[in-house]
Amino acid sequence: MLENYFPILMFILVGLGVGLGPLVLGKIVSPHRPDAEKNSPYECGFEAFEDARMKFDVRYYLVAILFILFDLEIAFLFPWAVVIQEIGAAGFWAMMVFLFVLVVGFIFEWMKGALEWD
Amino acid sequence: MDNMQFDLLTLLPEMVVLAMAMFILLLDLFILPQNRFIIYGLSQFTLFAAAFFTFKTHTPAVGFAFNHMFIDDTLADVIKLMMYLGTSLIFVYTRKYLQDRNLYRGEFYAMVLFGLLGMMIMVSGHSMLTIYMGLELLSLCLYSLVAFDRDNKQASEAAMKYFVLGALASGMLLYGMSMLYGMTGSLDVADIANSIMQHQGKSPVMIMGLVFVVAGIAFKFGAVPFQMWVPDVYQGAPTPMTLIIGSVPKLAAYAMTVRLLVQGLHPLAQDWQDMMLLMAVLSIVIGNFSAIVQTNLKRMLAYSTISHVGFIMFGFMSANANGFASSFFYISTYVLMSIAGFGIILLLSRQGFEAEQIDDLKGLNQKNPWIAFLMLIIMFSMAGIPPTVGFYAKFTVLQAAWQAGFTWAVVSAVLMAVIGAFYYLNIVRKMYFDAPVGSQVAITAPMDMRFILSVHALGLLGLGLFPESLLGVCGRSLLMSLQ
Amino acid sequence: MMFTDVVFYVLAAILLLSGLRVITTRNPVHAALFLVLAFFTAAGIWLLLQAEFLAIALILVYVGAVMVLFLFVVMMLDINIDKLREGFWEYLPMAGTIGLLMIVEMGMVLAEKNLRPSQAVTLPPNYSNTAELGKVLYTDYLLPFELASVVLLVAMIAAIVLTLRDRKDSKSMNPADQVKVKRNDRLRIISMPAEVEPEHVAPEEEK
Repeated sequence: MLENYFPILMFILVGLGVGLGPLVLGKIVSPHRPDAEKNSPYECGFEAFEDARMKFDVRYYLVAILFILFDLEIAFLFPWAVVIQEIGAAGFWAMMVFLFVLVVGFIFEWMKGALEWD
Repeated sequence: MDNMQFDLLTLLPEMVVLAMAMFILLLDLFILPQNRFIIYGLSQFTLFAAAFFTFKTHTPAVGFAFNHMFIDDTLADVIKLMMYLGTSLIFVYTRKYLQDRNLYRGEFYAMVLFGLLGMMIMVSGHSMLTIYMGLELLSLCLYSLVAFDRDNKQASEAAMKYFVLGALASGMLLYGMSMLYGMTGSLDVADIANSIMQHQGKSPVMIMGLVFVVAGIAFKFGAVPFQMWVPDVYQGAPTPMTLIIGSVPKLAAYAMTVRLLVQGLHPLAQDWQDMMLLMAVLSIVIGNFSAIVQTNLKRMLAYSTISHVGFIMFGFMSANANGFASSFFYISTYVLMSIAGFGIILLLSRQGFEAEQIDDLKGLNQKNPWIAFLMLIIMFSMAGIPPTVGFYAKFTVLQAAWQAGFTWAVVSAVLMAVIGAFYYLNIVRKMYFDAPVGSQVAITAPMDMRFILSVHALGLLGLGLFPESLLGVCGRSLLMSLQ
Repeated sequence: MMFTDVVFYVLAAILLLSGLRVITTRNPVHAALFLVLAFFTAAGIWLLLQAEFLAIALILVYVGAVMVLFLFVVMMLDINIDKLREGFWEYLPMAGTIGLLMIVEMGMVLAEKNLRPSQAVTLPPNYSNTAELGKVLYTDYLLPFELASVVLLVAMIAAIVLTLRDRKDSKSMNPADQVKVKRNDRLRIISMPAEVEPEHVAPEEEK
């Protein structure tokens, strides 16, 4: 079975090589003569006012966590889809109950307006 | 899985609670704020319906469901009925407080019911996996309930502490469970016991798993040395949430201990007995001494909880049916006492005023003699003074430990109980002999709450006069499950 | 099986190094990215053990979703990490001693005879980890599976209850409401007597 993944390993290695190669090459080949002015952060001719990082709105967090929950739900669907022929009607309805409970959550968040940005 | 239909019947009370919790959650979206009493009524109805089905489907025989993951025995049914009663009282006592502070929302009731579902699963869990899922369901509800009043900075801080330490405890429990699973090859509680019995020799990994499981349980109980979260969370959380954390979940923690330690790891009893002994004595000593110096009533009750947990551990320490039954009796009376105690705080607080300081009770007798009298009964009961039920609870636990041969531990516990009586009686002294502070303000609580709280507190006295009935129920249900 | 051994050691080395960097790097965003690398290599190791589904789930759920959430939270909090690091070295002797003690204890428990490599299990040629998992998850472990959905539901409710707020400053409008508006909602016609210009204004009333 593992042989099937050999091309993927190769792909990852080649991808890393292509990504890192130019960076390394640039570091080695290009001229590099830094001074204090060149290294200072530049902001339209002024000194930098503040940290480049700023606070995110809490709404991103809500969207991300709702995404995770449904992502997990999808993760449970994969093994179910693979064995649905073998587990029969009981297995089918088991997943339907699972989905129903999460649909209740979906209705809740929709009606609450959690999916709206404004 | 061919007897699926029978399986589902066993879970009828759980399904009722789940279905109603989801229904309440959705109904709240379509309801006008002034009609929210419907949500409240439905929540109470859910508890009643669940109690009805639990009672109706009860059989003396032990029933299993879902491939032995779920057990329905007398112990589970009795604890579930107590939980419905406790949750129902919680709903009655918290309604006014929530209305006053703009927290009277449908999600509160849905969350409490989901938490109740988690506790019911814990009580009936016969597999480490089921118990863990129930525990997580309960914990998740409790964390978010503590943070429910989200503009309250203290509550958010308490929720954060509770969450981080609670997640750590869950992790420890899960780590221990995974070691036990690795050594015994089974998640089923009965299979684990059989496997340990057959292999005779105890491997160090198994003991390590046991240590982690006991640590996780102690954390959820709030026993020393895992008590750090209790005072901060009790004080910081809004009083209704403190009431919820401090009462019914303790019953679930008891059931979890019975399932894991008594039914699953009984062959290792010698090992966990020592741990219980240490935690019991330390909890009683540290809980009682710390409670004396508190000025905040909720924080004082938190430390008193730690000492009560110590007494509950005393019952487990004896590691015989007598001890477990006395622990059960203790915890059921403790739940009643703590709901009543926090109920009084809720009764005295009103919009913009929390009766959390011990000094807020000064001269209560002159302001409102009836409430002062109820508080007197509750404090006597917590201290374990004879005519109340608290006395019998302490007595049975210590008797069981004495018979099991823990003489010096019992002697120290009695000494500590005497010291503990000091801070309970201090409250009584302030209520009856100090001059009232502040102007007289009428109690704004509704009639039903006052009436039920009165019956509840008098019940503590009544149970103290006739403890045999509850004692008998506790002993019998435990024996029917443990044989 | 030489080649898979080499892959395993390479992945394990990257995993350990990135795990170490997670706790030693100064910038929390870098720490989160190192955690992503750690998850990624862990997924590779699981793949070597033929636990395909778990490996894919690790990448999908942890790398794809949980770490994004971590990054959001790290950025949302905007922590000044240098301030948090103050006094870091003061705790080192105490923390180091306790850590060392724990390592020794764990070693004493685990070292003797418990750390033998287990028997390698030979798997049938068409073995599928995903199918095996599915066969027990929806039958034997049905109850915990359904409980998982309730836990997810509670997490959803909790996230919404704790973070969703009505924004007072929101200027968004609902087109459906705008279309539904009737003339009567916007314009109120009232009948009032015609006003006649008063001829004499009483001096008292003028005030």
